[in-house]
Amino acid sequence: MPVVNMEKLKFGVIGLGFIGKVHLRNCLKLKSARVVAAADKSKKALNYAKEFGVKQLFTDYQELLKLKDLDAVIIALPTYLHAECAIRAMEAGKHVFLEKPLARNPREGWEIVSTARRNCVKFMVGYPLRFVPEFVRLKSRLESGFLGDIQLAYAVNIAAGPFFHRAESTVPRPVSEWWLNKELTGGGALMDLGCHMINLLRWFLGEVSDIKSRLGYRFNFDFEDYATCIVDFECGTSAVVNVGWFSQSAAVGIELHGSMGHDRAYHSPSSKVITAIKLLLGETPKFYIPHLKELLYFVDYVKNDDNKENRLSGEDALRDLGVIAKAYENQIG
Amino acid sequence: MVGLVKCKERRVDVLKEAIKKALRLIDYSFPKAESVVIKPNMCYYWDYSTGQTTDPNFVAAMIKVLREEVSSDIDVSIVESDASAMKCKYAFKYLGYEKLAEKYKVKLVNLSKVESEPIKVEVKGEIFDFMIPKIIKNADLRINVPKMKYMMLSKISCALKNIFGCNPYPKKFKYHPKLSETIVALNKAMSFQLNVLDGIRVFGSKTLKLGLVMASQDPVATDAVAATIMGVNPKSVAHLKLAEREGLGKIEFTVKGDDLDYFRRRFPRKSLSEKAIAFGYRVACKLGLDKRII
Repeated sequence: MPVVNMEKLKFGVIGLGFIGKVHLRNCLKLKSARVVAAADKSKKALNYAKEFGVKQLFTDYQELLKLKDLDAVIIALPTYLHAECAIRAMEAGKHVFLEKPLARNPREGWEIVSTARRNCVKFMVGYPLRFVPEFVRLKSRLESGFLGDIQLAYAVNIAAGPFFHRAESTVPRPVSEWWLNKELTGGGALMDLGCHMINLLRWFLGEVSDIKSRLGYRFNFDFEDYATCIVDFECGTSAVVNVGWFSQSAAVGIELHGSMGHDRAYHSPSSKVITAIKLLLGETPKFYIPHLKELLYFVDYVKNDDNKENRLSGEDALRDLGVIAKAYENQIG
Repeated sequence: MVGLVKCKERRVDVLKEAIKKALRLIDYSFPKAESVVIKPNMCYYWDYSTGQTTDPNFVAAMIKVLREEVSSDIDVSIVESDASAMKCKYAFKYLGYEKLAEKYKVKLVNLSKVESEPIKVEVKGEIFDFMIPKIIKNADLRINVPKMKYMMLSKISCALKNIFGCNPYPKKFKYHPKLSETIVALNKAMSFQLNVLDGIRVFGSKTLKLGLVMASQDPVATDAVAATIMGVNPKSVAHLKLAEREGLGKIEFTVKGDDLDYFRRRFPRKSLSEKAIAFGYRVACKLGLDKRII
């Protein structure tokens, strides 16, 4: 197990696309962590990190991994680079926080997870919905027994996917081409958003026994831009999961229907204007707060005792990936 | 002269009749033509349902009108160019134009990838250099099928601004410091003989089914009517004033057909607070604070 500086965890951020920038800004806010380096192929992206005071900047992440005075890395690269980068970071003895999905397929996911074990580094996959207060409250209601046995559940995650624009809403942003290549993403909306909802439902209801999917192609690409899944859980619950990349109005929610009651939780961002104003003022917009909490959780996990259970382990993310892979295999209609 | 027609549906045959009616209102008769280019608005990966890009059904209806009124074997090319945030190869697919091209046997042309020739255009005594795609220059008929939208930099985007997308150079933001002059110069370089606006769904402060088909041979008058519907004084729009001065058309317009006020009352205009936010954002950009936005 690599030795960790007990004062402040020293981070390198690899990948400064949209979500990498969210993690960078959040990491800079943590009292228990410090960003010492960042890597991205784009010099423009590196300038963003420079403006926030990051001193060591690299266009090649392998140079960043050579830094001795670095405890952990946040990896927010395109999905097809997850396995390569995470494995190299783990072999360099760095603890790894990896953006979801774990990898393009279970085989790559397994390679990452086994490398983490072999090198005794701490590893977590970012699932911010686990830190959304509304979902945490719903989980607590479920565990209290107030809802009885959950027979039916409904999960939805609808967004604009890669076709979204900057927070202030008027300026279209270029879409990175890897998003439009199924070989590089491992899938479309089902992979991107489905893994969030499968992870959340497994947290609520336990393991999945079966899943079937119906994929949709509104925008005529060879990857699905929306999907409906029917999921059976070992506990006996049946769930419907709807995901989509077709809307400029995000909706993320869960509904649980039990023998004694029903409850629902939805996670909504602030308006785009408020988000833009908060970013301009250097504050954390509402939608990024769960990302901040998950990072704080990771820092705590790395710094504290080895026996602490990681709620978002690589093994957990690997199970999500297995369920998604099965959904792609079991298509109906 | 500008023709206005109400049309509540997006079925191709219904749209075709609405377009024909709008053309009759302005006494338009098609010239003899073997080749035609149609320039829809495909500004980004937002499909017709957002009101921000031209509905492929609307273009399909236009193609049907051409085949009925000009020639059944007229050579139709739908043209667009790459932009800073949008690539034609994805937009054609995403917005439904690949399906349209297959069904109606028309060509999709990425103007950034075809042969062009240099041209110099003078506007306000200044010379502008562009490359003009030969397919546009050599077409017998050029039809502009724009949308009507607010735009932060130019107040409105409609017929004249849509031709900005015929410039094959992809990094179009380089023209933003002289946007009005560039819009007018491009319209002088590539004159489109007919403007048929897709106002079935529009995007103002929100998306709305406005149900409008507008036709005119005058792009300045088309934009002036659109601006009026959007609650913008046409004489306050810099590129409209400049276009009129450069002889591209007239801001003063005559409307025929359905009532202009019907559309003006229904258009989802920006509220004062939205205008204030847009102003605040422009100030933030000028101060360089927008770099903080992710």
